[in-house]
Amino acid sequence: MTLVQDVKEIIQGIVKAKKNLRIYPENNPIYAKTIDDIHSRMTSILDYSDSLSLKIRQHDIFLDGETVYHANGKEENLALFFFKDGIRELTFDKGLPRNEMEDFLRILAVDFDREALDDDIVTLMWEKDFRFIHYIVDDSILLEDETYEERATEEAKKAAANNEGILSAYRDAFKVEKTPEVNIVPITDEDLEHMIREIENDPADKSIKLIHLLFEMLYYVEGLEECRELTGFISSALDYAIRLGNLEAAVYTLQKIGNESEVATYEEDVRACLEDLKGFIGSDGFVNRISEVLDRGAEFDEELLRKFASLLDKNAIPTFIQILGELKRAQARKAVISILSELGKKDIPSIAKGLQDRRWYVVRNIICILRQIGDASALEHLVRVVRHPDKRVKKEAIRTLGVMGTGDVLQVLNDCMSDEDERVRLTAVRAIGLIGTPVSKKILMERVTDRSFRDKSFNEKKEFFEVLAKWKDDDVVSLMIKTLKRRTFFKRAKNLETRAAAAHGLGTSGSAEALEPLAKLGNTKNRLLRENVQAAIKRIKGEKNGS
Amino acid sequence: MEADLRLAGKTIINQLGVVLRTGYFHDIDNVAVMDAIEKFLNLVNPLTETEGSLKIDIIGEFFYINDSRVRYPLEYMLNFDYLLREFQRRELGTVIFESRLGTDDIKTFLKVFISSAFSSTPYEAMKASLEECTNIRIDKLKKIKEDGDIDQRKIVKKTYFNAVSFTEGVMGKLKAGEKVNMKVAKRVVESMVDLILSEEQLLVGMTAIKDYDEYTYHHSVNVSVLSIAIGQKIGLSRKALTELGLVALFHDIGKMEIPKEILNKPTAFNEEEWRIIRRHPYLGARTLLKLKGFDKTSIRSAVVAFEHHLHYDYSGYPKIRNPMGLDFYSRIITIADQYDAMTSSRVYARVPLAPDRALSIIMERSGSQLDPVLCKFFVNMIGIYPVGSLVLLDTDEMGLVYECNPLFADRPRVMIIVDSTGRKTGGSIADLTERAPSGKYLRSIAKTLDPNKYRLNLAEYLL
Repeated sequence: MTLVQDVKEIIQGIVKAKKNLRIYPENNPIYAKTIDDIHSRMTSILDYSDSLSLKIRQHDIFLDGETVYHANGKEENLALFFFKDGIRELTFDKGLPRNEMEDFLRILAVDFDREALDDDIVTLMWEKDFRFIHYIVDDSILLEDETYEERATEEAKKAAANNEGILSAYRDAFKVEKTPEVNIVPITDEDLEHMIREIENDPADKSIKLIHLLFEMLYYVEGLEECRELTGFISSALDYAIRLGNLEAAVYTLQKIGNESEVATYEEDVRACLEDLKGFIGSDGFVNRISEVLDRGAEFDEELLRKFASLLDKNAIPTFIQILGELKRAQARKAVISILSELGKKDIPSIAKGLQDRRWYVVRNIICILRQIGDASALEHLVRVVRHPDKRVKKEAIRTLGVMGTGDVLQVLNDCMSDEDERVRLTAVRAIGLIGTPVSKKILMERVTDRSFRDKSFNEKKEFFEVLAKWKDDDVVSLMIKTLKRRTFFKRAKNLETRAAAAHGLGTSGSAEALEPLAKLGNTKNRLLRENVQAAIKRIKGEKNGS
Repeated sequence: MEADLRLAGKTIINQLGVVLRTGYFHDIDNVAVMDAIEKFLNLVNPLTETEGSLKIDIIGEFFYINDSRVRYPLEYMLNFDYLLREFQRRELGTVIFESRLGTDDIKTFLKVFISSAFSSTPYEAMKASLEECTNIRIDKLKKIKEDGDIDQRKIVKKTYFNAVSFTEGVMGKLKAGEKVNMKVAKRVVESMVDLILSEEQLLVGMTAIKDYDEYTYHHSVNVSVLSIAIGQKIGLSRKALTELGLVALFHDIGKMEIPKEILNKPTAFNEEEWRIIRRHPYLGARTLLKLKGFDKTSIRSAVVAFEHHLHYDYSGYPKIRNPMGLDFYSRIITIADQYDAMTSSRVYARVPLAPDRALSIIMERSGSQLDPVLCKFFVNMIGIYPVGSLVLLDTDEMGLVYECNPLFADRPRVMIIVDSTGRKTGGSIADLTERAPSGKYLRSIAKTLDPNKYRLNLAEYLL
């Protein structure tokens, strides 16, 4: 195969790479193969020569005067792609490494039409500072006025000094005193270190700095229009900062707006515009922007999120609830829950409205948020959710009532113990236990002594006794001992389960009083009862020794 | 005239392409060929009359007419490419049309040109066939110059003026409410960064010439060049240097909104006029934020535009209530801005300072108005005798500092403008590091003078 043919194939490969690198992610085998193919072909050529130079024209690419690529149109024209930005020659040197080839191809794959870039191919190549790929650029395409240099030079020379000026300077030179020696102040190691620190500490994102200056500029506005323009700039700077994941900019802005003594120093127009700005930060658009960034994987510091939320207006709550159901990443949802947990403190009814959301998972999250806030005024909203059709929501609501509730919610929880779903009933039992009032104990004991109790599953019975055991008082211990001893003729198996559950409860209570009745059943034939009795004895003795 | 030639050059090259292409496909006496020849003569003859002759050269990939490069226009691309290829095929580098040409001259040239394509030595065949033709001479294609041979000073000059021309264009566009092409802005600054990295002294030297009409545009470019040069000294990356240069280029953009009557007022400003002048940092920041969407560069440009007169100790303007510390780039650009302003003849400060005097003021302000560490770097970069300093040598020669020597700050290269007998000279360059066989320096600086006092025009010497 001839060199021309080889180069033609490389160029076709580059054309293909422009597409492939756009379509396939870096970890896709096609992505890697595309680069490998071109690189190995190029390396094969460079094995036999020091470099490969291609001349670029509008429709053609030439190798030593021979056309190796031709395209007539404007679309998909590789020659024009280089030519329009001024590239007239491309040279690849021997030793071209794969990563440099990849960087080069990635630049070609940039969709300059779609991406709003301030860079052209030349800039992107310049920034890469390739070692093995060189290019010749015709910068005349940059010129708007190609005669400028000539005109400016002529104008500047017009004012040329006459001989007399120069000669008078010469004569005076002998009269003036000798110039004292000037010393250059040497740059010390300290100076260099100082500069390195300056460069390293210079933040890439200057949004906060700009916002700070825009607040200063608000003192110089002349008229409402200018004022609106500046607060509009602050909004744009915030938007930009958030896109970069810089929540601090939003916190900084809200703090500035919230600093009443500072705000008071502004003109009335400015103060009104700042109110609007505050509204913008809680607006759907801005909150949605935050959610987009969160869903892209941005991670915000928990403390910063809370600070941000504490500064927001409560009007932002509905939007945050809305996006809570739309976020795809768990980490993002966690961040929004943190925001709502803080923001919700300002307006429980607004947060509680989220309990009516049609998405069960949003309702469950709102219940968690209300639990985190811990405001008792939320209880009236939560008691309604225990009738939610979704069991997951129901359980979360019951659990939360247990954590937050007082005696007022016991009736609701009592009803929940009759739910058809055992898991819901169990949650209700635990919730009642958490409330821990005498009435709670009474309710639970009534349930245990009810005839229907023996028909419950062993697990449920166990749960009742375990929860009751926390009271450790005579009533409870007596009830459990009584249950442990109870013998029946009918439904013996169910009764044995109840007794085993009571044994478990006694073990949990740690009551020494229970040791004797338990010991009597240590070798009972029924395995379930025996095992629970033995475990209870062990536990009580263990606690006794431990104490 | 050179500009006219360049403009006409496009059309002449294009028409020559048309003549040769038409001649390939038709008989030489065909109407189409004759029409093309006539048009070509109408373009060339007026020029040969005024210029004496017309020389078309190919240097590298470009056409030159009487040594002026002809721009590569997209609309004429086909004929340009064709002509370039055909010239190169024949190793034809130069065609000189000596005096008033006739149709027969061009017909001869056309015949010879076409027939030479069939010769194994086309250039020699053409040369022999044109022996008798007194109006047309040709020369062989010269090998393209290697990079090292290219006159760096020309490139530096071109880059500098491209930047000024671009800045003028930007300001004009902004005034007209048009969009500004940031891609071009970046390319312009990248060229400057490349030159600072390779020919720092030459590009910095360009900032010493202050005799242009358009102060603002040159000042913007000068501040950009000086800032990039400081940035380079402190070790900024190429990308950061571009950002710094770009930001510096736009630092004074707020001046565009100041009425010309105030900016160009020859007498002292009154209080109200000063108030308006002092609004330009505020106006600049606003303009830059309106220029395009918010991104890293637009934000930084606005910050610097607002801060460039604030001063390191916040003693400047606009007054601010809650100082946050000046931006790093603002501190660099403030130094470059003050130095260039001090050494320039502005409308409201007609007498510029001598470079060495400006430098000593910079040092006086170090730690108060200016960042002290950056000042050190700046002074080291500019040198004891900045480009443009007027010096008397111990040989009684007088000269202008032409290029600083970073290794020997007190031994720059000097352009001798008056010889030891007191006569004005042509401007030879003397390197003050040169020594006699005895080891003694041939020349040393004895005294410095203020070039502005004698109205010396640096452009005459340095451009």
